[in-house]
This record gives sequence, C-alpha cells and structure tokens, in this order.
Amino acid sequence: MKIVVPFKSVPDPYAGPGAAAKSVVNPFDEIAIEEALRIRERGEATEIVGVTIGPATVDEQIRSALAMGVDRALRIDDSRALDPYAVARILRALVAKEAPQLVLMGKQAVDDDSNQVGQMLAGLLGWPQATFISKIEFLENKTRAQCTRETDGGLEVIVVNLPAIVTTDLRLNEPRYVSLPGLMKARKKPIEVLTCEQLGVTVQPLTTTLSTARPPKRAAGTRVESVEELMVKLKQEAKVL
Amino acid sequence: MDFSWSDQQRELLDAVDRFAKEQLAYDMIENDRHAVFNHDAWMKCAGFGIHGLLVSEEYGGLGQDPITTVAALERLGYGCKDNGLLFSINAHMWTAIIPLVYNGSEAQKKKFLPGLCDGSIIGGNAMSEPNSGSDAFSLATTAVKKGDKYILNGSKIFVTNGPIADVLLVFAVTDKSKGASGLSAFLVEKDSPGLDLTHKIEKMGVRTSPMGEVFFTDCEVPAENLLGKEGAGSWLFTRSMTWERGCILAASVGTMQRLFETCIRYANERKQGGQAIGKFQQVAGKIVDMKMRIENSRHMLYQCAWAAGHRKAIYLEAAMAKLQISESWVKCCEDAIQIHGGYGYMVEYEVERELRDAIGSKLYSGTSEIQRNIIASLIGL
Ligand SMILES: Cc1cc2nc3c(=O)[nH]c(=O)nc-3n(C[C@H](O)[C@H](O)[C@H](O)COP(=O)(O)OP(=O)(O)OC[C@H]3O[C@@H](n4cnc5c(N)ncnc54)[C@H](O)[C@@H]3O)c2cc1C
Repeated sequence: MKIVVPFKSVPDPYAGPGAAAKSVVNPFDEIAIEEALRIRERGEATEIVGVTIGPATVDEQIRSALAMGVDRALRIDDSRALDPYAVARILRALVAKEAPQLVLMGKQAVDDDSNQVGQMLAGLLGWPQATFISKIEFLENKTRAQCTRETDGGLEVIVVNLPAIVTTDLRLNEPRYVSLPGLMKARKKPIEVLTCEQLGVTVQPLTTTLSTARPPKRAAGTRVESVEELMVKLKQEAKVL
Repeated sequence: MDFSWSDQQRELLDAVDRFAKEQLAYDMIENDRHAVFNHDAWMKCAGFGIHGLLVSEEYGGLGQDPITTVAALERLGYGCKDNGLLFSINAHMWTAIIPLVYNGSEAQKKKFLPGLCDGSIIGGNAMSEPNSGSDAFSLATTAVKKGDKYILNGSKIFVTNGPIADVLLVFAVTDKSKGASGLSAFLVEKDSPGLDLTHKIEKMGVRTSPMGEVFFTDCEVPAENLLGKEGAGSWLFTRSMTWERGCILAASVGTMQRLFETCIRYANERKQGGQAIGKFQQVAGKIVDMKMRIENSRHMLYQCAWAAGHRKAIYLEAAMAKLQISESWVKCCEDAIQIHGGYGYMVEYEVERELRDAIGSKLYSGTSEIQRNIIASLIGL
C-alpha cells in the first residue's frame, strides 16, 4: 500500500510570545505522518510519500518529514496564499499522479483552521472520507479501513473502502521526534519539485483576504476592596447584573 | 578558525535543541535527592544519536566532527537540567568510546561500538585507585597473563557508571619493572568472573550519575579484550584523557548559558529598594562576569574541538579548556546563588543543585591543580 501524506508548513504554534516564529510541520499533519509510519512499521504500507505546496523555504519542514521517516517528498512550487479549494485541486492532481491507496492528512492546519481540504479533496476525487479519526485499522486484505471518529456525541466507528481520504485528530498518536540519524538519512532522500503547470492545474484563489486585525487590547483589570464594591461595579459599570 | 555553522550543522543543532526541550525537561529535584539514574532518558539520548555523534557510520554512529559534537552537547546541556545524566553520557563517550575508536581492533570495534552508540551497552573508565589519583600511573591493580586470559587483581575507585556498566576500560600493571610503560588497558565486561561492580558511592553532586568502587579478585579477562598493545596503557590513557579534558565539559557551557539566562530573568523581576536588583551595579557586574566566563569557555571549547578536528595536537588547548570551563562553571553557580539571595540556597529554586553538580568538574579528568601543572610545563615552566 502506498500512502500519500499532504502536509503544510505553519508558524510554530508553541513558540512563546516574542520568540521569532519558526516554521514547523502543522501538528495535525505530523500526526498523519506518524500514523503512516506506524502503518508501514506494521508491514501494512510499503511507501510513504510526503507532499506539500510552498516556496523553497518549506524544504526545511520537508526535511523534518523525511527525517521522521517519510520515504520521499514532492513539493509544488507555489508561494501564493492558496485557499482550501485551490489546495484540494492541486492535491487531486498529485493523487492522480501518485495513485495511493490512502491519503492521510491533518484535519486542519493550525494557522488558518479552515478544516476543509480533506473533505474537498475527497469530493473532487469522488473517494470516501473518514474525518477526525482517532484510530485506523485495515480490513479484508487492505481493501477497507475501519476508522474511529471523534464527534461531539462520542466515538463513531465507520468503514470506508480504499482508496480513501482520512484526516487525523489530536488523539490518534504522539508523533516521534526527529532523531539525528533520521536527519542524516533525510539528506539523502529525494525532494521532487513540480509546478502547477507541470501538474496540469491552474488554480486561482477563490477568496481574497481583505484585511487582518489583531484582537482588541484588553484594558487592565482593577482590584476591588470588597464584595460590595464588586457588586456595585458589576451593576453600574459592567452592567451585567 | 571559522566557527560559523553550515546549514547542515545548524539543522542538526536545532534538532538537538528541540529534542532536549521536548524530551529531557523532566523534574530533577526528586531524582537528585534519591540519586536516580534516568535510564529511559539515557536510551532516548542514544536513540536520538548523541552517544554515537563522533563514531563513524559503519560502527553505528553519525560520523560528526569534534566541533559539531561539542556544540551538540552544549545544546543538550542548555536544554537538559539532568547534569548527572549528561555526565554519565560524557564519561561513556570520552572515556570508553573514544579509546575504542582510536585504539580498538576491528573485532573490538565491531563488538562494542554499535551497542555503545545505541545505548544498549553502558561504558566507563576505571583508572583511579585508592592510592593513585593525580599521580595516575602509580597503579596497584595487576594483570597477569595466563594462557588466553589475563587475571586481574586489585580495586578501582570513583568509577563513573561503574554500578551500571556493561563494559569498563580498566588500567592495570602488566610489568611493574617498566613503570608507566608497564601499564595496559583492558575491556572488562560486566559478567567477567571475579568482577564486583556492586559497591555504589554516594556523592555531593551529579548524583544522578551512578558511581562505584570496583573490585577484581582473580578476575578473568579474555586476552582479546586487551585494548592496544601490552604496555601501551599509559600512552593510551594520555591520548584519551586529552580528548576527555577538552570535551567532557561541553555540556557545561550550555548549562552555564541556561543559568545565565535564569539570572537575567530573575535580576529583572526581583525588586528591592524599589528597583529591579539587576539595576544594582554589583548584581549586574556578576552577570556581566558570567557572560565573559561563558564566552571565554565556549571559545576555548570550540578552539580545542576545531584543532582536534584538524588533527592538531591539543594538549595545551584541552588543559586550558578544562580549566577554564570547570572554574567558570563553579563561579557562575556561586554567583547565581548570590543573585538569587536566600531563594538560591533553597532546593526548590534549583540553583543550589547546579553548584553541587559543578564542583566535581574541578576534580575529575585531572584536578585544576593538575591542569595548571600541564599548562605550566607546556609553556616552558
Ligand atoms: C565526579 C567524579 C567522577 C570521577 N570519575 C572517574 C572515573 O570515571 N574514572 C576514574 O578513574 N576516576 C574518576 N574520578 C577520579 C578523579 O579522576 C580523581 O578524583 C582525580 O584524578 C584526583 O585524584 P584524587 O581524588 O586521588 O586526589 P589526589 O590526587 O590525592 O589530590 C588531592 C589534592 O592534591 C592535589 N595534587 C595532587 N597532586 C598534585 C600535584 N602534582 N601538583 C599539585 N597539586 C597536586 C590535587 O589537585 C588535589 O587538590 C572521578 C572523580 C570525581 C570527583
């Protein structure tokens, strides 16, 4: 079985305030990579192909993915800010090129929280989808996958025919760390760079970002001396009582 | 000398930073109190690639050069507060792996190096004896050849990793009449008949690094475990000791850097007399001196590793780096306690432990006095 894992480079969500934001592999995608590695280690997959879209600067995150154990990587050279539909269309062309039995990807990217690419990709390909999974097992000689989904109401177990799109939730696994031997092996693994033209897709963003704004600054709180004073303030100033 | 990092080195060092921060940031107070060796962290570090940094790939290592290796250890010291674990790793690398890399036969390297790199074999070095410390070659432990074995008798003291070791590099007298040229080195495996590794020694600092006494009672060592030639022990010791001196305190430079940053934060936060204590000249001066010591230490460490990587003799550089870093480390820790006031003296603040951990560095791998002797003799005194 061949697994394609699309991943996105995002600003490090764990960087402290004021720290220069380094880019990292989107944490949900890291979980997808980890799951693909575990599937391969169980002997159920033979090849893991990582794919990403971005300029050469994302090669650093590609190397992290390769260092974790992804076999090879493809980068679509495009530095535009693409919306989910454009990303899904590019990925559709890549899936057509690679013909995997499974596409494993994060349920969303932590920078824009769109949570749409997996679903759109499944729609474009006409493939089944299992989203927000916390467990995956293969059935019937790997022709189907049984996935446990985390929903608001509880756990839902579904079976999808392969090939399918599967998106990962937080509790699926804990990704391994990049080891130095992995890093050194990654230097020898190929990164293939393609353009949208070479893939035969033209994408235009359907959405435009008009403006971005910081959340309003919160005024500093005040200390009150007594419960009575608090009640007065809640009634008269905050007007919440 | 150019100490700027290539992209590959930077990538490697960033990975060490991240690894230390994410995998080695465990609580230390209890482990220190109860002298707990963290075997899980040992295996993590080995799996991550630390132990084998300097070993070539064919024996399971990463084939890095000395300067990348010491810089990686420095990052590890910055991110990991378990100075004892780092000391155990360093003893393993510089006093067991290095002698094997340079003096091991092909068979010995094949047998031990892959396990020493992946962490499954723990190594150590047994030179010091109750009556042989700074005067290192005045050993009493003997090794007598009998057929295809050597029979060892005697005892060793202060053996780092001794109680947990799978293999120890042991120095013993094979020919008393030849003095220093009558010493030989043996790879003694833990299950050797007549070997007793069970005597633990409790110490002031680096408490999470196990240390023990080792006893040999007609201890049988196969002749093929002789490292180098018979009589080559003192030469071999001097060679590996030079590496040890130059590099064993690499992590401490990172430790000092972390301590320095802690002090800056504290000096900016703590207010007395209506101002941050960092605004008092005497407090600021201590932190400035700390910065000077750290930069000097790092420079000497890199200079030594750079020279070693360029196959230059490093006797002088190694002794200077050892002296500079150990004395800086102790002084930084003392100053850090002073800056933290009473809090610095309390266990909870985790500064006092740093001082206890640092003090041993003026003793092992040759005391400060011995380093000064070496430097004096090399500069013509
Ligand atoms: C934490 C720690 C870990 C250690 N790990 C190991 C290990 O793994 N393997 C191992 O074999 N040993 C190890 N040692 C032992 C260490 O190498 C010795 O403690 C050290 O060499 C000093 O020897 P000594 O303790 O016998 O002191 P001594 O040699 O008795 O020295 C006592 C004092 O006299 C001074 N002195 C001695 N000779 C001279 C001289 N010629 N000129 C001026 N001053 C002199 C010394 O500097 C010191 O101040 C370790 C020690 C420590 C503290």
